[in-house]
This record gives sequence, C-alpha cells and structure tokens, in this order.
Amino acid sequence: MISVHNLSYKYPGYSRLVLNDISLEVQRGEFVGIVGPNGAGKSSLCYALAGFIPHFYCGSLKGTVEVAGKIIADTTLGELAGSVGMVVQNPFNQITGARFTVLEEVAFGLENLGIPRDQIVPRVEETLALVGLQGFEERSPFALSGGQQQRLAIASVIAMRPDVLILDEPTSQLDPVGTRDVFAALHSLTQTGMTTVVLVEHKLEWIASFATRVIAMVDAKILADGNPLEVLVDPHIQEVGVGATRYTQAARLAQRRGLIPQDRALPVTLKDTQRFFEEPSHD
Amino acid sequence: MTIPFSLYAGRESGLHPVHPLTRLTIAGFVLIAALLIPWTLGTYALFAGLLLPLAAWRRVAGLLLRAVFRFVFPFALSLFLIQGLFWTGGTPVVSLGPLSLKAEGLAFAAAMSGRILLIVSSFLLLAMTTRPDALMLALVQKGLPDQIAYIVLTTMQIVPRFQAKANTILDAQRSRGLETEGSLLRRIRGLLPLAIPLVLGSIVDIEERAIALEARAFSRQGEKTSLVDLPDSTFQRAFRWMLLGLTVALTVARLVSVLR
Ligand SMILES: Nc1ncnc2c1ncn2[C@@H]1O[C@H](COP(=O)(O)OP(=O)(O)O)[C@@H](O)[C@H]1O
Ligand SMILES: [Mg+2]
Repeated sequence: MISVHNLSYKYPGYSRLVLNDISLEVQRGEFVGIVGPNGAGKSSLCYALAGFIPHFYCGSLKGTVEVAGKIIADTTLGELAGSVGMVVQNPFNQITGARFTVLEEVAFGLENLGIPRDQIVPRVEETLALVGLQGFEERSPFALSGGQQQRLAIASVIAMRPDVLILDEPTSQLDPVGTRDVFAALHSLTQTGMTTVVLVEHKLEWIASFATRVIAMVDAKILADGNPLEVLVDPHIQEVGVGATRYTQAARLAQRRGLIPQDRALPVTLKDTQRFFEEPSHD
Repeated sequence: MTIPFSLYAGRESGLHPVHPLTRLTIAGFVLIAALLIPWTLGTYALFAGLLLPLAAWRRVAGLLLRAVFRFVFPFALSLFLIQGLFWTGGTPVVSLGPLSLKAEGLAFAAAMSGRILLIVSSFLLLAMTTRPDALMLALVQKGLPDQIAYIVLTTMQIVPRFQAKANTILDAQRSRGLETEGSLLRRIRGLLPLAIPLVLGSIVDIEERAIALEARAFSRQGEKTSLVDLPDSTFQRAFRWMLLGLTVALTVARLVSVLR
C-alpha cells in the first residue's frame, strides 16, 4: 500500500536533510505508529507520503514514494486526495472555513470528490458518530473547543474514505477519553482491512495498545522498525529521547532493583505489565 | 446557526423555494430602477408594491421595516428638513416665523429618499432571505471560480477570528508592559510587537489552511457535487430574463431621454 525507496529530502533554502535515505514498505490494513523526538522528521515523512512534499513544499527530493498504487511525484494533489488522507498537526487551521456548520465542513471534502448528494449526509453522520461529534452538526466549526476541532479535522478526512490515512499528532488537544475515541475509531477502520493508518504520536501507551507496527525516527533516519513489543522497549529508543511507556519504565526499575528476573521481557501495555509483575519468580 | 457578517434571518418558508439568482436579479433590478426611475411616486410604489409583499412572503416584513426605519428614516428626515428649509427661491408651503418649508425642496427630498429607500431595502431583503453560501453556490454553478466563492465565505468567518487573535496578542503584550497609551510615536512603536506575531502567525495559518484545502480535494479536477440543492425552474429562468430585459430597457429609455 505504501512503498518508499531511498527517500531523501531538503526543504528549499536549507542544506540539512530532513529525510535521509528512508526506505519502507507498508501492507494494506497495517496500523503504523511513528515515534521520535521533535525535529526527527516525522511530519516531513507524513508530507512526503501525502504528496505535500514535493507538490506543496518544493525542495530537493531523491528516491521514490508510491502510495495506494500512485507514484506521488507524478500525481497531482487533487487526484491524490481521494486515496491518501492527511490530518496535519494543528487542528485549528484544518477547518477550511469554506462552510458554516460542522456537518457542511465534513461534507465539503465529499462534495469535492463528487459523491452523490443522497450519500453525503449518511456518510457524514456515520463519521461524526465515529469520532464522538454527533449532536454538533449545526454548530459553527469555529465555535468548537480545541479537542472538538481536532475530532472534526479527523472526521473530515475519514469521511472521504481514503485507502491510506496519515495523521500527524492527531490527539494533541485531546484528553484521555478523546484520545481513546480516536484510537478506537482508527482501529475499527483498520479492522475492515480496507484502510491503512500511519500515525505520528507521542503517547506511547496508546501506540503500544493499538499499533501493529512502530517506526522510530531520529535525525531524519529510521532507527527501528518492527513490532511495538520489541521497538518500544528497545533501550536505544529511550536513549535518543523517544522515551518509554510508563509500564516499561516501571518494569525496568523493578528489574534494576532486582525484584524481577532480568530475562523477563519488558511490558508495554497494562495487561503485559500485570503479567510481568504477577508471574512468580523461579528462583 | 448564526453566520457572522450576515443579515440572514433563517426563516425559510419551505414553500416555493426561490433560486438565489432570482433573488439577486430582483435586487439588481430594483437597484437600477431606484437610480433611473424619474417619477418620485414610482420608487415608493416599487417599495410598497414589490419589496414589501416579497418580504411578507419570506416572513421578514417586520424585520425589513424595522431596519428601514433605523437606517433610512433618520436620513430622510434630515433631507426633508435641510432641503425644505434651505431651498433657495422656492415656493413656501408652511411658514413659522422666519422659517419656511419650500415645495421644491420637499419634492427633491422625497425623490432622494425614495431612491435611498429602494437601494437599502433591496439589499436588506436579499441579505435577510439568502444564505451567502447558497448565493455563492448558485454563482459557482454559473461559472464563478470556486476560489472566489471560497475567499468570500472564508473571509466572513476568519475576520472575527483575526480580531480575537489580535486581542489575545494585545493582552499578552500589555501584560509584558507594552505601551498602548501615550504619545503617537510611542503607540506606533508599541504596535510593532502586536503586528509582527499577527502577520507571521497569519502566514503560517494561510500555509496550513492551503494544505487543509488540498487534503479535502479542493483542487480536484472533474465533476463536484453539493450538499445543498438549489431548485430552479423554467418559470424562474424566464422571469430572470424578463427582469434583465426590463432593466436594459429602462437604462436605454433613460439614456435616450437624457440625450434628447
Ligand atoms: N516548512 C519548513 N521549512 C524548512 N524547514 C522545516 C520546515 N518544516 C520543518 N522543517 C525542519 O525540518 C526538520 C524536521 O521537522 P519535522 O518534520 O517537523 O519533525 P517532527 O515532526 O519530527 O518534529 C526540523 O529541523 C524542522 O526545523
Ligand atoms: Mg511534527
């Protein structure tokens, strides 16, 4: 579904590579979490997958990116929009202002895709319910709280039913309940097997519970790529500033104090953690 | 739902939906007529015989009359007083001591007031009964570029946000000791810390908003649909052409009579 070969990129007027020889294959239906410290190039990778690099941000690009069967460099943003959906970092500026109500704002993308009128409202209602915004249909998007605007931005892109959904820190304005709603919604989309999700997120506990794969980026490069259970407990990852889930931290501390045997695998979710602490020691 | 900068009253009667272009044509016709009709009585007749019944039909007659009273009446009153009292060499109709109202002045005031009444109320009626987005959609369907419609609609919503942001920055700068009072030079110097974050922030906003628009397939080529249906009819189309013809005829007739 996503295929990146030796991708390197510099923003125009800058000499530093923000993406340095990135290669990556993602299959349909995967839920990929991208983690990494600030400035690692996570957002830039998202832009490259969604086509904003090179169609919006020019700069020097090497390598190829193919998403949903389309070579990004050869496809216009207008054509890509139906196949690749992108939710950018700041929710406030994702409200287009082209329409006056929440319902119309979500419908706007569907209108542009040429979806028949009688299908638009059911699809919008379904998506608003998915992100927990039912009842807000007639409100002005600008009158919503930060968290609600973030849900709206996500709904607006999900409603377009792209094959690949790219979300850059989509829960930054959300409380734990909102974060859970969004992750659950994304999870349900990947469960259908139709949608592939790529998500940048700092909240590692949520990545651990929902992502099927984690990519850790540092300094414009991919440092680790694999199963969340392995990547998130990798000591290298913690060293470069990605951190670790609080479960992993607690478990590491317990091992260091000698409470738990060293050979026991570190946990990343609550359930693993219970097992980690409850399993009797052999010695 | 409230739409900023809009007078839309939200009282759709449901029956007989009138196409936004038909309303726009009526407003345009009345506007031209207001400027060209040579008979004073004609302007008032057009108001009472066309605009008021239309307003009543759309259930905004009360709103319209109140707005007219607020905007047009004070202006008309001063016209009557000033033109009536200070018309030089006219025939007095009423006299009170040294003051007298002249017939010619009153007639001129009546003519002017009639024109202003028509211009203001045709615009008010259009604005009260028509959602700006529906009007824009109708124009886009007739070939107005999408981008222009977008700029109009988004500006209506973003200007109030821009003001709010300016106030936030102003408060923040004030709390850090920014001078917003005092001599002019001082105040201009004080303005820079307000203007710079506002402008830089807005450039970033515009960039991100452009990305958001792209992500919503705004630049996609090909057939687009719309959530709102704007029913039109042969009758309405014929009516619009007739009004357009009437407007042209009125203009030509007026030109001919002026040139002769
Ligand atoms: N529009 C831009 N123009 C120039 N440099 C940029 C731009 N956006 C990001 N950068 C730079 O690219 C690097 C990677 O940024 P980014 O992809 O946003 O990282 P992350 O999302 O991981 O924090 C940073 O050093 C940042 O300063
Ligand atoms: Mg980022």
